[in-house]
Amino acid sequence: MSARIVLACRVVLGALFIWAAIAKLPDMAAFAQDVANYRVVPAALVPFVAAAVVGIELLAGIALVSGWNSRAGAVVIAALLAVFTGFIAQALLRGIDLRCGCFGGDEPASWWTVLRDLAMLAAALAVARGAPETGGATHVPFFEPVRRSKEKN
Amino acid sequence: MSLLGRASVLCVAGAALGIAGNALTPRPSPLGTRVLPAAEAAGAACQDPRSTFARISVEEAKPLCIACTATFVDARSAAEYAAGHVTGALHLAPGEPVAPLLAKLQSSSAVIVYDRDRQCADADRVAAVLEANGVRDVRVLTGAWPEWLASGGPGESGSCSLCAAGTR
Repeated sequence: MSARIVLACRVVLGALFIWAAIAKLPDMAAFAQDVANYRVVPAALVPFVAAAVVGIELLAGIALVSGWNSRAGAVVIAALLAVFTGFIAQALLRGIDLRCGCFGGDEPASWWTVLRDLAMLAAALAVARGAPETGGATHVPFFEPVRRSKEKN
Repeated sequence: MSLLGRASVLCVAGAALGIAGNALTPRPSPLGTRVLPAAEAAGAACQDPRSTFARISVEEAKPLCIACTATFVDARSAAEYAAGHVTGALHLAPGEPVAPLLAKLQSSSAVIVYDRDRQCADADRVAAVLEANGVRDVRVLTGAWPEWLASGGPGESGSCSLCAAGTR
């Protein structure tokens, strides 16, 4: 896949996850309720899971946008999206009417939400496979692949 | 470190960040308490915040029923009423004539309407009719009949003797 597309996926996906985390911060209790409404997580663990998810979204989003450990961030985001998609799909199949809790607010969970998550999952997997990154095991300059393609032209 | 190893570290660090930072948010996630699905929380049924009618919980309404200081009105169907209702409750489904019950209801210091619907739409409609007919202190029971039943509130079965014949 073109380095430019991977770079765009990485930055947009990272920004989306940072936004998703920040949107939940003003009312974490409401997000915990959204998590509980999926009827998957045990009631005692719901508040911890809700708080942890927001922290993971924020850190993984920063990793993607900054390019620091971006492939690891993409793996985390892909895992989150797989779980989110599973949660929403099971709720819809069980006829549970609920807010998705995706970006704060009152957005209802729907099959459209599932499709959107699957599209983001595909983008996250593409980034996990091909993104250049700084830090971690493979130290590659941030915009190196784009610069190389310019040099060819 | 492998890619999965770094992803795991990122995940653990993010979770720790979220849990540690939770307390700094305006409305933190209630760590240490159980959070149930909204539909299973106490009073979850029949709680429409848009309603103009005052709500009363089952816990508040039960003593009023036992002391006979409030009149209960069942806004469900006649069949549901006959199968089981709050002890002493009158039956008045939406659209049915209120005249036969007015004297009793207007003399009550408080009237509590309930139904079985999560949005308490039927109870709200009946409450509106009662209020328009001069009935004082009309309230709608949160949790409706299912929660009353679950909490062991006084109940009985059979038809409504005071209600208009042929309409119940």
